[in-house]
Amino acid sequence: MRSTRCALGAVMLAGALAMSACGGSSASSDSGDVDTNVDGKGRTLTLWHYEDESSAMGVAWAAAIEEFEKETGAKVEFEAKSFEQIRTTASQVLNSDKAPDLMEYNKGNATAGLLASQGLLTNLDGAVEAYQWDDKLAPSLQTTATYDDKGVMGSGGYFGIPNYGEYVEFYYNEDLFEKNGVKVPTTFAELEEAMAAFEAKGITPLAESAAEYPLGQLWYQLAMTKADRDWVTAYQTYTEKVDFSGPEISYATQTIKDWVDKGYISKSATGLKAEDAGVDFINGEAPMFFSGSWWYGRIVEGAKFDWSTGLFPGATMSPGSSGNLWVVPTKAEEKDLAYKFIDITMSPKIQNLMGNHGGVPVAADAEAITDEKSKELIANFNTLTEQDGLGFYPDWPTPTFYDELNAGLQEVVNGTKTPEAVDEELGGLYQDGVDSVTGGS
Amino acid sequence: MSGRRTVRNTGRRNARRPLDWVLLAIAVLGALVVVAPLLLIVLNSFKSPDDYNQGGPLQLPSHLYFDGLTRFWEASDFPTKLWNSIFISSMVAVLGVLVSLFNAYALGIGRARGRLPLLVVFLLANMLPQEALLYPLYTMSKAVGLYDSQWSVIIIFTVIQSAFGTYLLTSVYSGFPRELLEAAEIDGAGRWRSLWQVVVPVSWQTLSVLLIFFFIWTWNEFLIPTTFLVSNDKQTVPLAVAALQGEKLMDVTTTSASALLGLIPTLVFFLVFQRTLTRGVTAGAVK
Repeated sequence: MRSTRCALGAVMLAGALAMSACGGSSASSDSGDVDTNVDGKGRTLTLWHYEDESSAMGVAWAAAIEEFEKETGAKVEFEAKSFEQIRTTASQVLNSDKAPDLMEYNKGNATAGLLASQGLLTNLDGAVEAYQWDDKLAPSLQTTATYDDKGVMGSGGYFGIPNYGEYVEFYYNEDLFEKNGVKVPTTFAELEEAMAAFEAKGITPLAESAAEYPLGQLWYQLAMTKADRDWVTAYQTYTEKVDFSGPEISYATQTIKDWVDKGYISKSATGLKAEDAGVDFINGEAPMFFSGSWWYGRIVEGAKFDWSTGLFPGATMSPGSSGNLWVVPTKAEEKDLAYKFIDITMSPKIQNLMGNHGGVPVAADAEAITDEKSKELIANFNTLTEQDGLGFYPDWPTPTFYDELNAGLQEVVNGTKTPEAVDEELGGLYQDGVDSVTGGS
Repeated sequence: MSGRRTVRNTGRRNARRPLDWVLLAIAVLGALVVVAPLLLIVLNSFKSPDDYNQGGPLQLPSHLYFDGLTRFWEASDFPTKLWNSIFISSMVAVLGVLVSLFNAYALGIGRARGRLPLLVVFLLANMLPQEALLYPLYTMSKAVGLYDSQWSVIIIFTVIQSAFGTYLLTSVYSGFPRELLEAAEIDGAGRWRSLWQVVVPVSWQTLSVLLIFFFIWTWNEFLIPTTFLVSNDKQTVPLAVAALQGEKLMDVTTTSASALLGLIPTLVFFLVFQRTLTRGVTAGAVK
């Protein structure tokens, strides 16, 4: 046990370089490291997460705690944290002796990547090998779990394990479609036809918000309908320069402009927040809403009409990614218990439980999901991951691009700037941000 | 003569009337702007999520709904958070006023040398953004073992609040009637006795205003408590309210309910001490 911790600590401190060094000095330090038989008698696992107890994750993880206590004999000391507190104070807490043994943390370069590069997170390569979590995770899910020594995702060691996924899709109000004699679209042409049909009846087809993430995600989705995986990789991980006047982005911005002009998107969307757009759909006013699977639970509870979901018609890639990660702080005292707990949350039982409560588990058996709507949700996600279609989010590449993109698209919706001008401006801002992340190289 | 005056008077009154109305309208508008968010919170606190989804934030609730309040009360262990907030805020208020009093006695009445540069230094502590203080304070509190302890927050805020208090009290005390102090001195009172038996009673109003402000300011603090109070059972009310704000979604009705619960204690505190407050402000204006 002691040697395990020592080896892991060494790995952590020196990052990827030390890993090979460690492997050289003690032959069995990689796979022999992590023992999957954990005896937890008299020990305590401190666990933090910030999911609502009634959410799919909250329910599944509560069951996982029970299962874990039964299986290992250890006690779990769970504290529900606020997202805000973890976000602002993670690096301080993890650098102190108050660090938990296991916690949920946001994936991404600016969050988990940053902590990993600061040496505050345990490299999980040994545990991944011992428990074979990589077999359960699709490639685009693994992207957000691995970070290099600069904290950039997509390569390097495992520093987190995603337990659930998320993606962006269409929510359709079936009642409104039926009432207005419109067909739920399955191709892009049908989508535009449907929007035109609603518009002709005086209904704004799309619930949108340009003040927050929804319109940016639609924009990115439109770009991805013209893009391939290499473009996404270039956009997200800076492997190549991205041309903002190229066919992908100019098409996306122009289409948004067209949709606004045709009345598919209301001009008032500039001032609306995601919450407003969502409520617009839930109260039955808007027939379509393009947003994340995180809305699913809200819509199940709130919608008083028949509705369905579907991936963006005609797209092979959509915005989406793994959900937040389980991370093990470097200062954690019970690392083997933490690994065991992660493994239990990856087990079919817990994963299916999550699926049946409206979550998007990463390794669920679609057959075991009994709820029809949840089945659809998970089937869509599985379709995406099978075709390597998780395209991540438009604002990930740089810390400031979220606000810049929203501001740019607001100009498009307002008509105060031409799409070309916005593309050029966004391209410049994107490149500046990328330069500062990669150190100008 | 008298006729002229009447004309002038009525003329003035007539000229004033429309202006009065305008001023009143502006005051009412101002009050509305201040009260509007409060009203919205109250409105949405008693609304069911369903009601909210159907009618939006501005509609009156179709029926009173208390689940949001109880849900927040239980999930956040509200009584503990409330006690923590009261404990921290009262300690800071009392200690902050004490420290301000001692400092201002030396600087304002004692006219210590170099008091202007000293005051500037005190003000700096107040003007620096808290973000800038965060890391040094974090390292220091970890070094002395006060990380994740309420005392770290109490000490930090006592210093920050008393910096402002020192500045304010010093300017009040530099206009303190000398005759009173001289009379006390003739009666044989030392510095300690003049402080407690002359200065404190005379400036009692100002001190209590400071006390109230320190309490409310500390109550509403977020950044430093969120950094230093790691364990849930040590956290304060604003942190509990923030806990409801999710990453992408928010539960508007429960959040409103929590905001209402978080607001009531300061509101009660303010109403209880409101008379002291107005009296204190006017007392400050007396020479």
